[in-house]
Amino acid sequence: MSKGNIVVLALIIVVFGFGLWVLLPLQGERLGRTGLHLGLDLVGGVHLVYEADFKDVDPDDQSAVMERALITIQNRIDKYGVAEPVIQQVGNDRIMVQLPGFTDIDAAKSLVQQTGFLEFREVEFKPDGNPATLADYLGQTDLQFYETGDIDDRVFVGQNDLGKDETYGFLKYEDGAYHFEDAAGNTVAADALSAYGASVAWVKARGDSGTPLTGDLLADAYLTTTQSGQLQIAIEWDDTGTVIFDQIAARLYDPLGTSGAYTLKHVLGIFLDNTLLSAPKVNSSKFEGKGVISGSFTLAEAEELTNLLKSGSLPMPLKQPPLFEEKVSATLGARFVEMSWLAGLIGIILVMVFMLAYYRLPGLVASLALVFYGVIMLTLFKLIPVTLSLAGIGGFIVSIGMAVDANVLIFERLKEELRSGRTLGAAIETGFKRAWSAIWDSNVTTVIVCIILYWLGSSIVASAPVMGFALTLGIGVVVSMFTAVVVTRTLLRFVIHGGMVRHLAWFNVYRGKQ
Amino acid sequence: MFDIIGKRFWYFLISGAVILIGIISLAIFGLPAGIEFGSGSIVTVKFVADVSQSDLEGELTDLGYGNALVQQTQPAGSFLIRTERLDEAQAAALKDDLNAVFGAFDGEPSSQDVSPMIASETRTNAVIAVAIAALGVLLYVTWAFRRMPRPFHYGTCAIIALVHDALVVLGIFSILGAILHWEINLMFITGILAVIGYSVNNTVVIFDRIRENLTKGISANFETVVNNSLVETLSRSINTSLTTFIVVLALLLFVGANIQNFVIVLIIGIIAGTFSSVCIAPSLLLVWDNKEWGRFLFWRKSNPAKA
Repeated sequence: MSKGNIVVLALIIVVFGFGLWVLLPLQGERLGRTGLHLGLDLVGGVHLVYEADFKDVDPDDQSAVMERALITIQNRIDKYGVAEPVIQQVGNDRIMVQLPGFTDIDAAKSLVQQTGFLEFREVEFKPDGNPATLADYLGQTDLQFYETGDIDDRVFVGQNDLGKDETYGFLKYEDGAYHFEDAAGNTVAADALSAYGASVAWVKARGDSGTPLTGDLLADAYLTTTQSGQLQIAIEWDDTGTVIFDQIAARLYDPLGTSGAYTLKHVLGIFLDNTLLSAPKVNSSKFEGKGVISGSFTLAEAEELTNLLKSGSLPMPLKQPPLFEEKVSATLGARFVEMSWLAGLIGIILVMVFMLAYYRLPGLVASLALVFYGVIMLTLFKLIPVTLSLAGIGGFIVSIGMAVDANVLIFERLKEELRSGRTLGAAIETGFKRAWSAIWDSNVTTVIVCIILYWLGSSIVASAPVMGFALTLGIGVVVSMFTAVVVTRTLLRFVIHGGMVRHLAWFNVYRGKQ
Repeated sequence: MFDIIGKRFWYFLISGAVILIGIISLAIFGLPAGIEFGSGSIVTVKFVADVSQSDLEGELTDLGYGNALVQQTQPAGSFLIRTERLDEAQAAALKDDLNAVFGAFDGEPSSQDVSPMIASETRTNAVIAVAIAALGVLLYVTWAFRRMPRPFHYGTCAIIALVHDALVVLGIFSILGAILHWEINLMFITGILAVIGYSVNNTVVIFDRIRENLTKGISANFETVVNNSLVETLSRSINTSLTTFIVVLALLLFVGANIQNFVIVLIIGIIAGTFSSVCIAPSLLLVWDNKEWGRFLFWRKSNPAKA
């Protein structure tokens, strides 16, 4: 037996051993990889695709804004403890979020899509000392601001039937003119808002330099409780925020402190995404960078708000509803995992039985090569790692059937060569050589198709089934060319030159009987 | 030796009939577009109770979802319910109503919701993908057979075989769509493309043998060369199809459910692809070479001068 063949055989055994070492134990950690990476359709989870609303964003800034939005969403999700989330930009203006194992789609959506824009506002007062209202602005024919120095937008907040604060409209400046918007942000005529005339106008709270106080100036936020057990969010400002906050406090504070009555004159409004969260009275002129946001929160709401404040605001809103949303329940997934392994196992066993029955000894060798193929594929899946979706596992199982194709090609050749009277050794070498061009040409077309499929899958919403199928089938075709040719040939040479073959019947060839 | 190629006009007849039926079905029923191509919502539910499809359909109609399509999947009591796009409140209300009538779900339902914008882009890209795949295969096969006389013939015949497989699958799916409410989705296109890759693979192996036998010069008669090549590769063609068929069948029996339609595409495709590789593509090559199109059209007895 040639020395080269023994070296190759030894290498194959080493690779096989390495594969088993990586794979077993199945859930164990090897080379930094733990277990097989199962896709969202198997472990359950949420898949969302949003379109960014670039209405208020300069076209030149869009890519930078997009980048910041991805980081913000990543931060928010990280704090929720989702294992291995995928947050990606798709095309120019889309954001794709995949949360494997997280099946509460409503919570996921609010986590991702909340703009989370925190700002502080104060009430606008008329010269007569009364707060400016929506009715005051609706009654004007020529727009005149009461707070003449502030020409920015106004938010109008009234009280609903339950006595809770609610935002009813906006006065906004856009494209060189002012217009009214309703609570949902649609441009409306002035009379559409007349029912909410009592709503009070709020303007941005600004420091002496005119910089408005917003959530961007926060350094930290965390959940605390008051002495009476009420939830509140403690906030800390960064250096700029500290200065501005104290300047505003100095202007608004009530010299009477806590003993003074609650009046809108001394109130600072805390707005999240244009909703008034709370309007505490400012009782001190100096805060030195600290403050609290109180309100009637549930624990979940308070945690979500804290998370939003820490992760910062989205630099642009996301269009509603999402372009694509999918929720896969975890219970369905668990069943699929077991079933698909069973399908794979049964498939591989049936193929082996067939190969053994039809090709005898070479069939046995092909079966060994198939086991090698299965182990190498799973090892690659674990090491790369390949995210296995249901269709991805399907692709792997289909590739098992195709993996023996090269062997079938070779063995058919082998039989022909044996029938034509060649010796075993010569027949094997010729069989492999002659079959090669067919193996190569036929696999190239499958790889071409897999590449196109992968592109199709990734192009719109990153469809896990399509990409998974294309990837596993593609890898399978490439690996099977190696296992079917190199592994099978090496094993066959070993068996034959070892003098173990006594009858051609072991090859299912009966020479001379015809 | 078997005479496979001599019956070529029977193959054309069989394929023609299957494709014709498919085209008629396509013309009448069309292909129901799934939500990935047509937008809308799908809810995947499994009831604890053994709910029948007709009861579920009746209830959906009563609830005002007369347009909803219901497909039964494995195991019993599992359904895909396809509706127009539902917002959160509508989806929640639908689930509550179904629970009230049919009892609890076994596990949490899964859902999918696709906007019209995504659907139309997916349609476009699916068409582009199929077109590029066909073109890629044509170019590759033509290139692989560049040293043969008329390499373009090989490429074209491979493409016709590929279109044949796609048409058979589309036609049969149109019939299944009309009867079982199956819809085509992105996985359907994936199945079609996988079938295309697979079928071309088979065709190429046979063409490869024709190429080899031509080079060897086993016969001056092209028909003999083609037939010998077919016979020599027949057991390979059948065995490879069988092994692939075995694993796909295992996939259908054990995994089924969400990828059921996809696996059915593969099964139909494997059968059509094997047939087209063995019977259609080489026959076309020969008919083209013999320029005997007229014989097919007028159904004349074979011309002894050509044979």
